[in-house]
Amino acid sequence: MMSVGELLSQFGDKYLQALWTTYGLTVLCFAGALVLGIAITVMRICPIKPLQWFGDFYVQIFRNIPGAALLIVLVYALPYLRVMLSYYMCVLVAVTLIPSSFCSEYLMAGMNTIGAGQIEAARSLGMTFFQIVKNVVLPQALRSTVLQMTNLLVATMLTTALASQVPLNPADLTGIVTYINTHAVGGITAFMISAFFYAVTAVVIGQIGNRIDKKVRILR
Amino acid sequence: MSNGKIISQEPIIELKHIDKHFGSLHVLKDINLTVHKGEVVVIIGPSGSGKSTLCRTINRLETIDSGEIVIDGSVMPKEGKKLAELRSQIGMVFQSFNLFAHKTILDNVTIAPRDVLKKSKREAEEEAMQLLKRVGVDSQAGKVPAQLSGGQQQRVAIARSLAMHPKAILFDEPTSALDPEMIGEVLDVMTELARDGMTMVIVTHEMNFARRVADRVIFMDGGSILEEAAPEEFFAAPKTQRARDFLNSLGDRESRS
Amino acid sequence: MNGAHASIRDVLYDAPGPKAKRRIAFVTVISLLALAALLAAIVRRFYVTGQLDPKYWSIFLRYTTWRFIGRGLLGTLQVAAASSVLAFAAGMLLMMARVCRYRVLNAIATFIIELSRGIPTLLFIYFFFLLAPQFGLQLPSFWRITLPVSISAMGVTAEALRSGVNAVPRGQTEAAVSLGMRSASVFFKIVFPQGFRYVIPTLISEMVIVFKDTTYAYVVNYADLMQNAKVLISNYDALLAVYLVVAVIYIVINYLINKLAATVERRTRAAVAAAK
Repeated sequence: MMSVGELLSQFGDKYLQALWTTYGLTVLCFAGALVLGIAITVMRICPIKPLQWFGDFYVQIFRNIPGAALLIVLVYALPYLRVMLSYYMCVLVAVTLIPSSFCSEYLMAGMNTIGAGQIEAARSLGMTFFQIVKNVVLPQALRSTVLQMTNLLVATMLTTALASQVPLNPADLTGIVTYINTHAVGGITAFMISAFFYAVTAVVIGQIGNRIDKKVRILR
Repeated sequence: MSNGKIISQEPIIELKHIDKHFGSLHVLKDINLTVHKGEVVVIIGPSGSGKSTLCRTINRLETIDSGEIVIDGSVMPKEGKKLAELRSQIGMVFQSFNLFAHKTILDNVTIAPRDVLKKSKREAEEEAMQLLKRVGVDSQAGKVPAQLSGGQQQRVAIARSLAMHPKAILFDEPTSALDPEMIGEVLDVMTELARDGMTMVIVTHEMNFARRVADRVIFMDGGSILEEAAPEEFFAAPKTQRARDFLNSLGDRESRS
Repeated sequence: MNGAHASIRDVLYDAPGPKAKRRIAFVTVISLLALAALLAAIVRRFYVTGQLDPKYWSIFLRYTTWRFIGRGLLGTLQVAAASSVLAFAAGMLLMMARVCRYRVLNAIATFIIELSRGIPTLLFIYFFFLLAPQFGLQLPSFWRITLPVSISAMGVTAEALRSGVNAVPRGQTEAAVSLGMRSASVFFKIVFPQGFRYVIPTLISEMVIVFKDTTYAYVVNYADLMQNAKVLISNYDALLAVYLVVAVIYIVINYLINKLAATVERRTRAAVAAAK
């Protein structure tokens, strides 16, 4: 068994790159998931029925498909339709689509906590639709979903481990464990270092989320 | 009229031939009602009589199937900026207060003046503090709604309406969600408003309050206005059998409780 | 009458006037056309790439195909069931250690829960698949997938159970204590049964997580749905069709589990409201 020091002197660069890959994917995918999730949510609450159906359908597909199944479809099945995506692109798309559906679910739930009364009150004060969204709906929906959104960020990071299922260079934090395992005997140490980074990142994100939530939580 | 108050003949709210259905249910049947400037109209009736729905149609929180609503000479438009503008001239106080949960008491009162009337922050806040003082909750200005009692919340809701300088305020069962010991404080604020000459349409079950404050009592049942009279007249000698039954049932309930 | 139970969809927009109604009707038609065009483009893509050829899809008319898929699904379900049971048992222990009065146990449980929740399932899988054998731990492939999936799920299970226990009003404990019950029996007879009831819907929807994680079984060569799909593909050369069908199977099953959770939640909420 290798010590942490030996392992890092031999694979330190690779580890930094792996950490970078995982963090990079996490940030990109989470940002994409937020944008997509908000767009889908707008569709789901707009008064246009077909768009509502589309939004609902989208959410049901991507919240229920296993990440591995989606990735396999993107990597192996799409080329048969002559849609060729790079491995990195496939991971990026899969890890964006799945969290985007959860993002939309959380936003819908957050908005449903607002209740008809406050919206009617805003309406009776003479606010237009956009003023109601700006003053009442958005701030409350965002503030009441802080915990879910930080959980979603952690979930997104965990889902980026899918990157280990395709050949990526540099590998991600999970992929590098198999890489080191095939190149040296340091597998268990490598596992522990990766596990450490994942868990610490998750805890830090969770703590930040808790702190923000405490600050902005809406008493009801 | 009842309180010796002289009420102008200038109409603020006019409902003309209002009809409304909920599916197959005919909830408002050819309603005609005019509320004059400074008048306090109290609508009573058994639950399901359509009185709340009527109240909510006045600022088009409920749509109508046919008829016309005129606010201070302008016909209530069906949509758009015009509708929002006219709504801003009519205050509304709800049964469940409906304060904005994420805003402080002060911000609840200032948000519409600032965002709808485009008042400056300072101007809006100064006036809001006066209004909060008037309803007796100025000491709570920095708190959020959930920290206040129901009675306090409802008084803030009244201040929030007043901040828009409405031509009239609609009250949709403003004390029905309150614990008995808090009903008085809200009714006191409303009584004072009435005395100051505010035009008010009030849906309520508080008969003593109605007797004391109303210039006119409207009795509704089954979606129609059945009686319209000065309070002393109505409570002493209701003309219809259904109004007599309604008042008797209240009497029974009050004596039993 | 104030629509307190209406969803946001019903209240966010003002009741449309005639102009808004016309606009909605217009955009509805446009969006229907757009969705139809999207669907047509997808079907066309399948057509021009030859993927609509019956040879790819006719295998799904055969009983043997479905029997094979069914066998894979059975493997998946076995892993999912075993993982759920293990995750629940471990989650239960972790929850009790997390809420008990011994500080050291609290800390250990918190640590394990955070690890379980903060590490990807795949990493646990590689631990049992690649690393454990180096220490002489030779597991059959069933356990190589079941153990990591359970470990990954036990943390969230523990937290779900804990949130249920915390949701039980303090008065329940105080009432039981004042009757002279011992603290262990207060927990097991009064607090836990109530808290457990609150979180049954959450526990059901967590089965979706377990079910999804079982798809990694192909990593350890366990014959689950995904693995059998691979075999079908190598036999019939119908990759796209097979993977799409398999994806739909996963989606439908998870959709049904979520539906069940939502139904149970509605009932639980109604029952709790009725009890109050």
